[in-house]
Amino acid sequence: MRSFFDYIPGNSFLHRLNPLSRIFLSFMISIACFSSKSHLFLLLMILLNLVLAALAGILNRGMELLKNLSKFSVFIFVLQVLFVRRGEVLLEMPFNIIITEDGISTAIIIVLRLIGATMPLALMLSITQMNDLSNILVVKLKIPYKYAFAFTTALRFIPIFASEMSAIIEAQVSRGVQLDTKNIFKKTRLILPLCLPLLITSMKKIEGSAISAEIRGFYLRTGESCYRKYFINWNDVGVLLFAVILFISAVFSNNIKL
Amino acid sequence: MIKISNLTFRYKDGRKNALDNINLSINKGDFLGITGTSGAGKTSLTYAINGVIPHHYNGDYYGSVRIEGEDTFDTSPSALSLKIGSVFQDIDTQLVSSVVEDEILYGLENFSVPAVEIEQRISSALEAVGISSLRYRSIESLSGGQKQKVALAAILALRPKILLLDEPTSELDPESSVQFYRILRELNENHGITIIVVEQKIMLLSEFAKNILVMDTGKIVINGSVREVIDRSSLLEEIGINCPRVTSLSNRLKEEGVYTGSVCINVEEAEKMVRSIIDD
Ligand SMILES: Nc1ncnc2c1ncn2[C@@H]1O[C@H](COP(=O)(O)OP(=O)(O)O)[C@@H](O)[C@H]1O
Ligand SMILES: [Mg+2]
Repeated sequence: MRSFFDYIPGNSFLHRLNPLSRIFLSFMISIACFSSKSHLFLLLMILLNLVLAALAGILNRGMELLKNLSKFSVFIFVLQVLFVRRGEVLLEMPFNIIITEDGISTAIIIVLRLIGATMPLALMLSITQMNDLSNILVVKLKIPYKYAFAFTTALRFIPIFASEMSAIIEAQVSRGVQLDTKNIFKKTRLILPLCLPLLITSMKKIEGSAISAEIRGFYLRTGESCYRKYFINWNDVGVLLFAVILFISAVFSNNIKL
Repeated sequence: MIKISNLTFRYKDGRKNALDNINLSINKGDFLGITGTSGAGKTSLTYAINGVIPHHYNGDYYGSVRIEGEDTFDTSPSALSLKIGSVFQDIDTQLVSSVVEDEILYGLENFSVPAVEIEQRISSALEAVGISSLRYRSIESLSGGQKQKVALAAILALRPKILLLDEPTSELDPESSVQFYRILRELNENHGITIIVVEQKIMLLSEFAKNILVMDTGKIVINGSVREVIDRSSLLEEIGINCPRVTSLSNRLKEEGVYTGSVCINVEEAEKMVRSIIDD
């Protein structure tokens, strides 16, 4: 199974950027989303994510991501609406449940934020090779190679875990276990015991990866081992400036009343 | 080149010895096939050779493994990797990158291969395995068999003296398995690389290996030339190893005294056998 951030090869403007600029841009979009309380600005950020996805030639991935995040968001939205009790009451329901204008408004912000802030990270990972990522962490950010490798390995294993999880669930369903119950607590209670064997195989896989790295000279690596050179050019400068401008406009977006 | 003396190993939470008093010498230029039923200790033996045992698995360890005189107990697996290239059984944990080219580059960077040499190393490794066209593909998009070839190429780029492979053709179809072994033979004959390969399909070993080692419950049962091992197909079947049908047939005919020639490995030889019996 493919996950939302397996690498998709390509030669777009974004693929050719210095990986550091890509990481910076995606983090800045995330941070901008968290800094803004403006519905319009957040919507624009989501749109920007889709535009970037299109630029990188991975619009399909972007749309898929948006679809799945939206599904997840419905849950968050409902919770949020039920939680917030401030503001003008729009609807009163039995069991002392009320829906307020504030509730709806903050729920929308939270959902838009969640989508706008998650998308850039997944999209960035989709167009960044793991080795580039760990090299950048080591060479530019001076993180010890050991940790950089552990980090990228963990990322690499998420899709494998996900596919194993769905294999386990399929196996259970085919044995007649009803996991498609709508009751979220019941579902959790059914799925949780299945996670344990997965956890054990996961630990084994990570251990296996460490061994595999070691028998290919992991501990022989030095700071100068990195073959690829990562240059900063004008495109990168442009992207960095753009990212900073985004952040500033996020802050200002809070002062504009729409 | 490799000398294993009185090696016994039991995993920390193992109930019996995974390796039981192993004595084995492997010389430069050998092409050794290791076979045995699952759980026989084949993988553990490969771990003992590349240093994963005892450096990554705790347990009771007796005896010694020496690679060109160096005891693996005192040498880290990373240092041993300069001599021994290993391809593991579980291919998904073996690969560490997201793109084929990077996978090859990974070990080269670790070994600090000079930048001017790298391009040539990558392209010739991919070519040797016949996967130059996969160079820029994402690893996620490859089939199991293609991943096994990438793993081999990544190791070949490091130019090891010894190549250690654990069931490298488990995900390949019969045709590609034979191709894979042709590559190994080429490396063995033309580049002098010592090859140690764990393989369940004894047919492949009988065709390509020079020597076969049969393991069962952590022990070496037979260690000899392909002929010597194949000659004892009844013993192999007792252990639970499937021999080619023609081999079993010729062995049975020999036991019954109907046939006196050498044991058959393939259909051509079986044909000769049948003709000789008819002619008598
Ligand atoms: N990590 C481990 N911990 C405990 N026992 C193990 C471990 N790995 C393998 N074993 C045991 O060691 C024996 C040999 O296993 P292995 O070398 O993997 O055999 P093979 O590769 O021939 O199938 C088996 O009995 C197996 O259960
Ligand atoms: Mg094994």
